[in-house]
Amino acid sequence: MKFKNLIVYWRTVLMVAEITLRHQWNDSFILFAIIVQPMIIAILALFMLRGLGGDYAMYVVVGSGLTGLWSSLLFISGNSINNERREGTLESLVAVPTPFEVIVFGKNLANVVQSLISMSSSYLLAALFFGYTLKMVSPLLFVGSVLISIFAFISFGLVIAPLFIIYRGIQQWQNAMEFPVYILAGFLFPIALLPAWTTPVSYVLPPYWAARALHETSTGAGDVEKVIFAWGMMLLFSVIDLFLASKLFKYMLYKARVDASLETV
Amino acid sequence: MNSIEVKNLKRIYRATIGVIRRTVKEVIAVDDISFEIKEGELFGLLGPNGAGKTTTVKVLATLLIPNAGEVKVNGLDVVKDANEVRKHIGFIFGGERGLYWRLSGVDNLRYFASLYHVDPEVSKKRIPYLLELVGLKGRGNERVQGYSRGMKQRLHVARTLLHDPDILFLDEPTIGLDPVGAREFREVIRDLQSEKKTILLTTHYMFEADSLCDRVAVIDKGLIVAMDTPSALKRHVSDLSVVEVETFGVAPKVVDQIRELSFVDAVSVRDQGQRQLILVQTPLGAEAVPAVMSALNGMRVGRVTVREPTLEDAYVRLVGGKE
Repeated sequence: MKFKNLIVYWRTVLMVAEITLRHQWNDSFILFAIIVQPMIIAILALFMLRGLGGDYAMYVVVGSGLTGLWSSLLFISGNSINNERREGTLESLVAVPTPFEVIVFGKNLANVVQSLISMSSSYLLAALFFGYTLKMVSPLLFVGSVLISIFAFISFGLVIAPLFIIYRGIQQWQNAMEFPVYILAGFLFPIALLPAWTTPVSYVLPPYWAARALHETSTGAGDVEKVIFAWGMMLLFSVIDLFLASKLFKYMLYKARVDASLETV
Repeated sequence: MNSIEVKNLKRIYRATIGVIRRTVKEVIAVDDISFEIKEGELFGLLGPNGAGKTTTVKVLATLLIPNAGEVKVNGLDVVKDANEVRKHIGFIFGGERGLYWRLSGVDNLRYFASLYHVDPEVSKKRIPYLLELVGLKGRGNERVQGYSRGMKQRLHVARTLLHDPDILFLDEPTIGLDPVGAREFREVIRDLQSEKKTILLTTHYMFEADSLCDRVAVIDKGLIVAMDTPSALKRHVSDLSVVEVETFGVAPKVVDQIRELSFVDAVSVRDQGQRQLILVQTPLGAEAVPAVMSALNGMRVGRVTVREPTLEDAYVRLVGGKE
């Protein structure tokens, strides 16, 4: 890819992200997914675990933020393809010279970044309403973990999105994919509490490595080696996801043009 | 030089029916059609619903893969070079869909300008220019959901012209517009024609094709049944006259009886609310009126006129008088 193309695509990604945010903030479901639902989860967890001390409160804040991140990616990014189809804009997006995966990358970027609001709202909830003193073990490493997690989540979302182009029924499976990842990725409690046979499943989920890096840098020991290893795993999965996504998009878009499924709802 | 070349295009839709015993049903939407459109030409594609017009446009717009044949736009193959083709084309599908209603007109245009890789500095100047061109000056910052149908259609035109494409596909662009909106829209098409854009227009409205198109192809059941200039197509029916009879509640059986008359070439019925206008094509002219009235057998009849044929009559004859 030429450097000039990269600049053009990056400009397009930013425009797609801006327009996605402008468009979505007029939809009350989005506010539910990124603010209300993670806050409900945070309130429940903070009530249930209030005897465990301030460290655990921070764990819950980060964990509920991660639930917002995952739900946002799964529901908003996935549904956005079907929404485009319903509004009749999917054909217009496919027929532009910008590759469709670049457009979806911009949409995912907007969704993942806006879902960080859920982490901030959970933080405020724990600090203001539950009175916890929330301390971050390694703020700098935490910020680095957030940035790499964003990239890992966006890349993972790019693998999911092409499935929505041709399998309209996949929407019914979204709920089934939401809670298992909360548990298997260790968002709200460590996976050590789960049966041992689930551990390999957790290891192949990029959200698990994101949770591990974020928890380690916020409430863990701040072990740099562990954090760097989690970053490495996220980057490795991102490369694999981006490769898979490029193949999937090519195949799914061709199939959609064969099956005439770009317009039909 | 040809901007568009379609050779032996065939497109089939497959649908799976049933849950346990799954059977595949095939519908041939376009069946071995060929045509060319010259650079700067306004070419009309006419046909009844389901004739294959939209399918043809979607293949040309790189949204459908053909089952057979070769389709080229500016010499580029729509399957192999789809991405390159997309830089040269713009399209509008009739109706209000295809825009982001919760965004303003300007935001819709900014978005698509970016997707078409229009330089931000260029789009800053081009968006106000296009809004003015399509008569939306001063309304660009309003949300699209508050626009009338005509305004949405005009915003579609502005969106289509953002990257200044050489070739435009307009699929029934005036459908659902009120008469004033449709007339204004036709003026926009004339302006585009004067800018030497190559335009493929599909429409139901014969007068629209007659007044705008350089050449017209009539398509029916996926086949091109005639292709010529509007005036040459009208000559297909120059030996005929059209008897128009206004009726109130005519039964299909009665229309069939008229169709069976030996001197009748084609019959079509146009619903006009409570009334129906029966159009009878016949070489006999006014002499056919008594026999037609007799077939109506005492039914309440309004105005009866005899006139020269139009492009619409040529179209009715070509597609078998079903419309």
